[in-house]
Amino acid sequence: MKTETNNLSRRKFIALAGGGVGFAAIAGLGMNIDWALNNPEIDADTILKNTINTDVLVVGGGMAGLFAAVKAHDAGAKVMLVSKGRLGASGQTPFAKGIFAYDKEKEKLSIDEFVAKVSRSALGTNNQTYTRQLAEHSLARVNELKEWGFFESSLYNKSFSKPIEERNIPMHERVTITHLIKEDDRVVGAAGFSIDEQKVLFYQAKSVILCTGAGGFKPNGFPICDLTHDGTVMAYNIGAKVTGKEWNDGHPARGENPAACYDGWGDMFEQKPSTTSIEVRHDLGVDMNYMAYMSGGVAQMGRPGMGKQENSVSGGPYRPEEFSSEKGQGGPSKDGEKDGKRPPRKDGEDRPPRKEGEDGPPGKEGKGGPPGMGGGVVGGSSAGMSIHKAEGLVPINDTCESTIPGLYAAGDALGSYMAGGIYTQIGSSLSGSAVQGAIAGETAAKYSKNIKAHSISASKLNAIEEDILAPLKKEAGYSPAWVTQTLQSIMIPNFIIYIKKENLMKAALAYVEELRDHHVPHLRASNLHELRLAHETKNMVISAEMKLRASLMRKESRCSHYRLDYPELDNENWQAWINIFKAEDGTMQLEKQPFNTWATVETNSKVEFNS
Amino acid sequence: MKTQSYILRFSVLIITFIGMPLFLYFSGNFQKRTTLMETISIVTILGFSLLLSQFFTSRLNYKLMKKIRMVNVVAIHRFIGYLFISILIFHPFFIIIPKFFDNGVTPSDAFLRLITTFSSTGIILGLIAYASMLILMITAFFRFKLHLHYKTWRNLHGYLTLFFVIAATWHVVDMGRHSNMSFSIYYILMVAIGMFYLIRTNLFKTAKK
Amino acid sequence: MPIKSINGCIGCEECIKSCPTDVIRLNPDSKKAEILYPEDCQICHLCRMYCPVDAIVITPDKSIPVIVSWG
Ligand SMILES: Cc1cc2nc3c(=O)[nH]c(=O)nc-3n(C[C@H](O)[C@H](O)[C@H](O)COP(=O)(O)OP(=O)(O)OC[C@H]3O[C@@H](n4cnc5c(N)ncnc54)[C@H](O)[C@@H]3O)c2cc1C
Ligand code: SF4
Ligand code: SF4
Repeated sequence: MKTETNNLSRRKFIALAGGGVGFAAIAGLGMNIDWALNNPEIDADTILKNTINTDVLVVGGGMAGLFAAVKAHDAGAKVMLVSKGRLGASGQTPFAKGIFAYDKEKEKLSIDEFVAKVSRSALGTNNQTYTRQLAEHSLARVNELKEWGFFESSLYNKSFSKPIEERNIPMHERVTITHLIKEDDRVVGAAGFSIDEQKVLFYQAKSVILCTGAGGFKPNGFPICDLTHDGTVMAYNIGAKVTGKEWNDGHPARGENPAACYDGWGDMFEQKPSTTSIEVRHDLGVDMNYMAYMSGGVAQMGRPGMGKQENSVSGGPYRPEEFSSEKGQGGPSKDGEKDGKRPPRKDGEDRPPRKEGEDGPPGKEGKGGPPGMGGGVVGGSSAGMSIHKAEGLVPINDTCESTIPGLYAAGDALGSYMAGGIYTQIGSSLSGSAVQGAIAGETAAKYSKNIKAHSISASKLNAIEEDILAPLKKEAGYSPAWVTQTLQSIMIPNFIIYIKKENLMKAALAYVEELRDHHVPHLRASNLHELRLAHETKNMVISAEMKLRASLMRKESRCSHYRLDYPELDNENWQAWINIFKAEDGTMQLEKQPFNTWATVETNSKVEFNS
Repeated sequence: MKTQSYILRFSVLIITFIGMPLFLYFSGNFQKRTTLMETISIVTILGFSLLLSQFFTSRLNYKLMKKIRMVNVVAIHRFIGYLFISILIFHPFFIIIPKFFDNGVTPSDAFLRLITTFSSTGIILGLIAYASMLILMITAFFRFKLHLHYKTWRNLHGYLTLFFVIAATWHVVDMGRHSNMSFSIYYILMVAIGMFYLIRTNLFKTAKK
Repeated sequence: MPIKSINGCIGCEECIKSCPTDVIRLNPDSKKAEILYPEDCQICHLCRMYCPVDAIVITPDKSIPVIVSWG
């Protein structure tokens, strides 16, 4: 509705002070600046404020959030569940169809053997405590899901609502949380806004569990455009340590209509979920990206009789012999299933390239891409996402506790390294979220019992409200869509986040810093939909910075992190995870944390990034 | 000559109430869904246009009536009546048939949601139309058991029809999947002409026998 | 555009609630679902699958806007 005339807008601009000076100057030159104008559909000053009190605040309505809310309630806490989208219909949970359940009656491997096998595939990057916890608890969670009717429908809202409604757990859907609130060195709540009502919402809570999932750069071809690492960035902003940013999820998309997530997965989204058993793999790293890079942009997959693609290009990411794709690693591969993230299908019809990742031609049973698509794929469909459970808040123990008292995280929002820096056990992402959600819920409930309710100071509330509504109040600025698109073109190219090299990452970092310092502060929003986009964009820019800094720091190649300039595994220096945190001065700092140690609240051997 | 003209009149009826909607359906720029869904849609559209044709296969259409014997008119009217009613009676269920063939929302949940969305004018109108259609059907079926005067019967049937048709057409124009501009104009035009006949017959011609 | 059309909507809001990226909203006048932010559609089909009356049609294509120097 850009109906304003140039005259009007110029007058408006000249009247501007402060942040708008640059724009005013442009306007003064007589340049048409309609593109930058914010035409608010709502008046930011009339937006209402609401404060809600609870013991445990669960943020996120996916698999982790469901169990966190249910278990915290059952442990006696007053719980509130808030989610950006709908329960069971937002985040990644709606699209996952295979869920791992370790049934000791049926499995040949003991839990010890299972953990050892995951560690071998993960090249030590997994946190064995969390891997073990997954195996120990998965069956119980899966059985609860069964009771709620989870396995009876391809859509999860109904089964997820059952336990929530039975317990009368209050829920706010379509509320985006943007801030965690810390006072007296502990978490005392969170704040956000509704996209339906003109309302800023403050949640005063004794503890907060982030079940906000992972995220990406709103990439094309993977259904994560509602996830922008919000939990990670919010926690980082109040001083928590986060991790796992150097790893990459290497999902490809079809060459034709790459943005069509649904079509890229055949009819998988329409299937009912089912359970998976032990099948440890070394999947979805960046082998395919390497192949495409070395062979000049060509990546094929899924065609029977295409020959072994990975043999046509030598070198590339290291894959342990035991888990080479030729060897039907670790257990029978059902129905020729390469990704295992899908339940076995009754028929053997076409299967699009979906989770096969770097497995090369999956069609050992003669199945390939659907007719007409010729197996041509493009990379970057999940750009900005690391490996499930490898990125997120750093836990300080096995109960999903973060480095900040009162703050917990579970599932894809917790950097538990349950599976390591590469996909290992099939279907463990979904059950891992269930398992960790439940544990975080119980722990947070217990913690909240000994904590007195805290009243957040008015000055803090006001400052946060200002911050939330800022894009709505901008007279002019950059549209979130444009900043996002610019970020995508900086980050998504194969030669930036997948096939990494020092000089290009440094170059990209310079761009990202530019967006961070000179564009993010000018993000505009004309309605609540755009307000959400503005906050998401802000988080993506921070995530991009984290990704680049961590990737620059890890001067080796391991699992799904591949450096063209450091292609070898470096066990001497890099048996360590990278933690990221915000220093007192506001700068982004990184540190090493040796594998299989717990993080401390203090900083470890601090490694400053030299830029 | 005589037979020819009534064949002609019948062709006009068929073209208007079967040909026309099919033409509008295929010429309209509608997004095609699955074959099952589209088949159901076509059947439903025809069910509704047949209902509209009822105005013209009755006493109201005296031109047609004059050409063929009254018993035949009644037979045709009754046949089409039962045909469209048996289609439209299943209409709410037709809509959720696809739910039997996927793993998502169950047919019962979908149906419940469908008939309880009271915030929607279209649904309310649909429910009203459905109920009045049932009454219309039952009274027609038991017409002779009701022991009504012919004139009373005709008025009852006429006014009930009027009420039903208005509710149904409004419902269709408001929420029909294929109710684009051309379909809506077509429906409204047919209803308007039909109503004109009906009102003329019932109000002004009651004295005449 | 990815999410293409909504026809035969009964206004139950299932799709609106189920769209992860807030593409669809209820038109306050017609009380029907309306495609408001198609550029944010991730072509995941959740809205279509949740719709009780199969009112939504989605196509796999996405017209990605051109890249410009500012915007
Ligand atoms: C296409 C696809 C297929 C997959 N297949 C499988 C599979 O077969 N097996 C398997 O194990 N895993 C699979 N995965 C991975 C799996 O889905 C995830 O690991 C798992 O669902 C994560 O659950 P979660 O609850 O931790 O996070 P999510 O399900 O991502 O939930 C995050 C929640 O947080 C909410 N949220 C986010 N930000 C905010 C905010 N700022 N304020 C409020 N709320 C917020 C979101 O709305 C959402 O409800 C698949 C993933 C995808 C995308
Ligand atoms: S396809 Fe997915 S993203 Fe697009 S409108 Fe439907 S639910 Fe929303
Ligand atoms: S789910 Fe279907 S019927 Fe309900 S509001 Fe959306 S489009 Fe309309």
